[in-house]
Amino acid sequence: MSTAIAELKPKLLPGDLALWFFIFMELLVFGIFFIVYSVIRTQNVELFNQYQLTLNRELGAANTLLLITSSYFVIQAVHSIKLNDIKRCINWLCAGLAGGAGFLVLKGFEYYDTFSAGIRLTTNTFYMFYLSLTLFHFLHVILGMVILIAVVIKAKYGAYNAQNYIGVESGASYWHMVDLVWIILFPLVYIIR
Amino acid sequence: MKAYYNIHTIWLVMMLLTISTYAMGKFGYDGIVIMLILLLTSVIKGSFIIRDFMELNGVSLLWRVIMYGWLWIICVAIAIAYIVSV
Repeated sequence: MSTAIAELKPKLLPGDLALWFFIFMELLVFGIFFIVYSVIRTQNVELFNQYQLTLNRELGAANTLLLITSSYFVIQAVHSIKLNDIKRCINWLCAGLAGGAGFLVLKGFEYYDTFSAGIRLTTNTFYMFYLSLTLFHFLHVILGMVILIAVVIKAKYGAYNAQNYIGVESGASYWHMVDLVWIILFPLVYIIR
Repeated sequence: MKAYYNIHTIWLVMMLLTISTYAMGKFGYDGIVIMLILLLTSVIKGSFIIRDFMELNGVSLLWRVIMYGWLWIICVAIAIAYIVSV
């Protein structure tokens, strides 16, 4: 009887509950940004379609592949710590961080080209959205990496094991949120016309 | 079934879906149908992230509604805005 009840109970959220409220707030902010972009585009369709073609889709696609792969590495880290394999957990987290670093480097090249061409937030409405949306996401990638670095350092000092891995799950959840946002941002800004 | 549905195959499918999204842009496909396909691709990839990367499968209904609801509401709102602009 008690087993049956236990099976009906939903499982707990992975990671810290407070972090999930933070993730929810972040998603709301990005969601509002995406909807405002789409609504403003309805009044400037030709302008948005014209300047969208100037974006580097190859780098955008490569960054999507990097973030997805990075998330894949981070979930492997979570699985490793649940098996009490701390060394492997750290290695997977470092691989995930490398993916994040690759994203920042590629985005850096993209911004270098953009700013070298004299494009600024004030150039036109499309670039205002492109720069503000991608820069806002860029900052979240940096924050996600800072969180993952903190998790790696704590893991090296033995803070996590198969019984206590809430910190690893929390860092991973935030990193997946950064990935989730980019999954919509990339087609919205770079592809859909 | 589980042999095919695991974190490795999900990663592979997401990579392929990303390449297909890029290809549609590269070859200049546009229009409402393409826009809907691209948004549906995002919903599929987003669902994989929520269910299998964030591991929210089996958590309370409220959190699943929040996460999947966010994904669907954003994509439907984008679709409506694009359809209106045609």
